[in-house]
Amino acid sequence: MNENLPYIVKFNVFLTMFDKDYLEKIKIEKEKWEEKLKESKERDVKFVTDSEIPIKRLYTPLDVKGDYLDTVNFPGQEPFTRGVYPSMYRGRLWTMRLFSGHGTPEETNLRWKYLYENGETGFSAAVDALTFNGIDPTNPDGAPEVGTSGVPLYCIDSLFALTEDIPIDKISVALVVEPFTSAPVCAMYFNMAKMRGYDLKNLMGTTQNDILTMTVGYIPYKNSPPNHLLRVACDFIEWTVAQKNVPLWHPINFTGYNYREGGIDAVQELGFVFASACSHIDNLIERGWKADDFVGRLAFHLAAHKDFFEEIAKYRAARRIWYKLMKDRYEVKNPKNLGFKFHVQTAGSSLTAQLPLINIVRTAIQGLEANLGGCQSLHTNSYDEAICLPSEQAALVALRTQQVIADETRITNTIDPLAGSYYVEWLTDEVEERVWNYMDKIQKVGSIDKALSTGWLYKEMRDAFHKRRTRMEKGEEIMLGINKYKVPYDTVTDVFRTSQTAIDIEVNRINKLKARRDNAKLEKILDKLRIVCEKEENVMPIIMEATKEGATVGEICDIYREIWGIWEPPLSI
Amino acid sequence: MGYLGTSPIHLIEVLTMSNRKIRVLMSKPGIDGHWRGGIVVSRALRDAGMELIFGGFQNVNQIVEAAIQEDVDVLGLSIHSGAHFAYTKQVIDLLKEKGVFDDILILVGGVIPAQDFPKLKEIGVANVYGPGSMTSDIVEFIRENIKK
Repeated sequence: MNENLPYIVKFNVFLTMFDKDYLEKIKIEKEKWEEKLKESKERDVKFVTDSEIPIKRLYTPLDVKGDYLDTVNFPGQEPFTRGVYPSMYRGRLWTMRLFSGHGTPEETNLRWKYLYENGETGFSAAVDALTFNGIDPTNPDGAPEVGTSGVPLYCIDSLFALTEDIPIDKISVALVVEPFTSAPVCAMYFNMAKMRGYDLKNLMGTTQNDILTMTVGYIPYKNSPPNHLLRVACDFIEWTVAQKNVPLWHPINFTGYNYREGGIDAVQELGFVFASACSHIDNLIERGWKADDFVGRLAFHLAAHKDFFEEIAKYRAARRIWYKLMKDRYEVKNPKNLGFKFHVQTAGSSLTAQLPLINIVRTAIQGLEANLGGCQSLHTNSYDEAICLPSEQAALVALRTQQVIADETRITNTIDPLAGSYYVEWLTDEVEERVWNYMDKIQKVGSIDKALSTGWLYKEMRDAFHKRRTRMEKGEEIMLGINKYKVPYDTVTDVFRTSQTAIDIEVNRINKLKARRDNAKLEKILDKLRIVCEKEENVMPIIMEATKEGATVGEICDIYREIWGIWEPPLSI
Repeated sequence: MGYLGTSPIHLIEVLTMSNRKIRVLMSKPGIDGHWRGGIVVSRALRDAGMELIFGGFQNVNQIVEAAIQEDVDVLGLSIHSGAHFAYTKQVIDLLKEKGVFDDILILVGGVIPAQDFPKLKEIGVANVYGPGSMTSDIVEFIRENIKK
């Protein structure tokens, strides 16, 4: 809560990890080695990380700052650099959770079962553009996109179809919807679970509910302004976790992945997610809650991008930053609430439509980063990612890629195996320091909704797009098949196509529901929702009621639009 | 450096017809929000000296209306949702109905399988740009194929 907390971390300048005299000896020997090196040439490339941190030719004990027990310590112990749990993967492997959805809820259900039978250990629903934006399929604006980029989830019946014969009490489900539609879609899910006889007190899962995904990750189509999005995101955290209606749920997943894919770097990715997380925590504290009432359920979703060591350093730094934020800024008391838990997705933007089989290699390396970095859950991309939604075969290869890492490589034998690498420890410190600086920059603009409405975040995104484009065109950032060993644009042999009949099926589903429900009763509930929206009270209780009575996502979002208006994001070229 | 939205358009310079810059409308039909492709190409075309009108999200009627009102030479459609046939066909049919199809070079970009290129060209698209396209190629194609 202390706004003036200094963000620049001062590391202990004494090199307590090594004996001082011995370090002097190393320094002398290093100078001799560098003298010899003068005769050998280096390649004419920039030795920098993806976020442009200059990298030395060699790291030695001289580069390791800080004290082991203070800055690294043991897994499950403050500051959690080596992992959030004491036993990490020796206790339990990460959850293998593939982001998946296409066509109709029934088709997606079949894909989920297929992946489950093949060893998947968590589900994640990728929804279509209409579900993301709260548009019903009866609206011609989005009709051609029903089921083309994810599963359509427009009403409670869709949630029954999606999870049919799936033991949602045993396997957790991630619902990837953002603040504009998270309340109605998740209320539909919770109502469905209750009707199927599950107790919400034990229900496990995650809602993405990330304000930045549908504002700077993607541009929103007729969504409401950011201040309202921030508030409804917090309504959801408050209702599920703080008020303990669904206490084991992860009510938000700060999704750096989605904007990282737009071109920002690892430092910016962490800066965005932590600045956003602080704005949500501040909002809930203003409502009278204590951080300890809810922060233990906040989750994160980061990218595994191309720079192998920088990404690993990023995960390690993220745990330390979150710990310090919770401990120092929010004065969190319960040690269980200090750990940074995160899902990882390998980088879709690093994959190419050209020579798609190379994507399997890229994804395997990125998956390894996530596991060496101690993720709790992982999505590995399919090799056809750059061109279509995953085919069954491509999804299976992606799942098997994680299973190769888990079952064949033996990297899980020991916890945080890269700790103590002079380079990895140095880079972890370096990333951390840069993230604090960047967060400071964002927080000067204001809370996360202000950083959106003023256009500041859009300018950061735009600059990142263009920097990457320039790097690609100059050949400073290499993508095989695109700017080195170029091949003509080609595609995977079989392009996976989503169902052409999805639109008819979904319109029919909505019509049947509307014929069945008590429309007069629903109208009264929706009028109550209007009043709740006007008064800016927590929307969850009334949306639970409305979706139980058969309100569609589009109907609820239309009321948001009616009361809060439609927001035009201040994009810039 | 104009702000962008569904109601465009801040034109900085008024140019005479003789040294008129190539005018481009970049639109996103539908409701899918993948925006990087459209922005990156828009910036590259502007950097190459073209007059860029960024339409953002527009429905088919808004796209055609803006193309006519702005008297554009090039119409770029950025589509990442897999619904490229439906939207492109609707736009081209309406351009034909309004009698302006022959004046405008239509380009489509996005996540579009190479197998779909011939069919899009058949219905009147001049060229299609899939993942990994270089903006310099788009600039060159526009300069060589402009219709008026």
